[in-house]
Amino acid sequence: MNSKRPNKILLVLVGISILLLALLGLHLGDVSTDSWDIYNAIFSYSDDNLSELIIREIRLPRVCIALIAGAALSIAGMLMQTLFQNPLAGPYVLGINSGASLMVAMGILSGAGFLSSELGLIGSALTGAFIFGLIILFTASFLRNQIGLLLFGVMLGSFVSAIITILELSSEAESLKAFALWSMGSLNGVTIEQLPIIFLVFVLGCIVALFIVNPLNILVLGEEECRLMGYNVQRLRLMIVFVTALFTGLITAFCGPIAFIGLAIPNLTRMLFKTQDHKLLLFANLLFGSLFLLSCDILIQLLSAVILIPINALTSLIGAPFVIYILIRKIR
Amino acid sequence: MIGIENTEIGFDASLFSIPEMDFDQGKVHILMGKNGIGKSALLNTLSGLIPPIEGVITFDGKALSDYTYKHLAKKIAFVRSNVKGVPFLTVDAFLLLGRYHYKTFLREHRAEDYALIEKAKDLFGIAHLAEKFTNELSSGELHLCAIAKAYVQQTDYILLDEPTSHLDYANKLKVYDLLGKMAKEHNKGIIISTHDLDLAFKFPFEFYLIESQSKKLGRVQAFKEVEKEFI
Repeated sequence: MNSKRPNKILLVLVGISILLLALLGLHLGDVSTDSWDIYNAIFSYSDDNLSELIIREIRLPRVCIALIAGAALSIAGMLMQTLFQNPLAGPYVLGINSGASLMVAMGILSGAGFLSSELGLIGSALTGAFIFGLIILFTASFLRNQIGLLLFGVMLGSFVSAIITILELSSEAESLKAFALWSMGSLNGVTIEQLPIIFLVFVLGCIVALFIVNPLNILVLGEEECRLMGYNVQRLRLMIVFVTALFTGLITAFCGPIAFIGLAIPNLTRMLFKTQDHKLLLFANLLFGSLFLLSCDILIQLLSAVILIPINALTSLIGAPFVIYILIRKIR
Repeated sequence: MIGIENTEIGFDASLFSIPEMDFDQGKVHILMGKNGIGKSALLNTLSGLIPPIEGVITFDGKALSDYTYKHLAKKIAFVRSNVKGVPFLTVDAFLLLGRYHYKTFLREHRAEDYALIEKAKDLFGIAHLAEKFTNELSSGELHLCAIAKAYVQQTDYILLDEPTSHLDYANKLKVYDLLGKMAKEHNKGIIISTHDLDLAFKFPFEFYLIESQSKKLGRVQAFKEVEKEFI
């Protein structure tokens, strides 16, 4: 109880690093800009200044979506891990991404008018994520084995990628390319006009998550204990799946599938803060998730002169070994 | 008072029946019976986790099913047999979870919550474990903590499913002694399922047996009556 102070200092440090990295992110690119341009681009924007235009239309959305996507996926992962009392759970491994991907693939590859529109894509990604979230929830109710549930998630993923492959074969070159690019994951696709709605949905999810931190703290002891302390576990489970699907669907729709953040960051924060206090964990995941994805994005840009790395590949390159480390530690 | 009448108890199907039985506050009730006869099922039913297969159970005159979950949490604490330790959850934090039925979204824990935790740690002799993570405790230590958490919950009734099976002899004595005192001094109704027959009979408790022939719950007075069930 007396270890709260260093926790706060750590969170503040992460917050400061995020600010500094965000500023760096706004400066990175082929066109060089100064801090004055950034100030103008945000507070007194005029579209005939090229530097301001680039910052506002390209770099600002990119930095913002990196922050939001990192935070959202980490929080989604934390919720999944607490719900299934399984440190290896996450929106990606459990196949919730796959649900979103499947619906997006059907939208893009079918080339059907409404489904491939922007709103259609978001809607179908959210629907897919929510349906697959419910499938996992239902499966978990009788598949009590932790590893079994993960395997189920992986199988769900394989099943979906098989369907997607079939869809790909029978679709046109144009939409095939669009889908291939989407599936690599990208933080470039978001426009400044879309940011407010993404931010709003993100805040909504965070509020719901904040609202359930109390029962989450008990849920680590198991669903029966949560029920015995007076909480409605069924409603709690639905709320968790709702937030997870909302976050996963939203980010998948705009950035494509981004792997392993939702698995690695929640584990990292639990290990760093050594706590099961979900209010603290919520903020920690928000900040560390943002910091991690923003760092990945900046790394990608710094390396872009040498090699082009899609964001999904980089998070996997870093995340997968970390997950293997957790796995070995857990099984040993 | 917990009132039970013409009730069938079990998880999915009926395991045994209770023609009529009352469990009063201010007493410790010891529940005995062979493995798998339905002791856990009865405690799970009384805690409200599962419904009775048939019949109605009343708590202080009101049907169990008419209570809200929140209200039940303030009335009944249940120490389940499979307590599990959680990584990064300290004993202090674990005990604090026993006060969550009074915690709302905005309200932080009060000074009295922390005072109760300190008292519970003293009573059950687990103060030295306070900063330890619950997954690093022995199963005996973990069960002591779980019983302490039920105490922290400050309910009228405490149900305990084989709470002493992981404890050493001294701790078994201590737990029975403490529960006996809690029942008397704080007028709690305490129901314990156990296989520690000879030990439990050393205390002035009430005794019940789920008899395997008739599959009925009945009162017993002496150790001898129970003995023949197990031979």
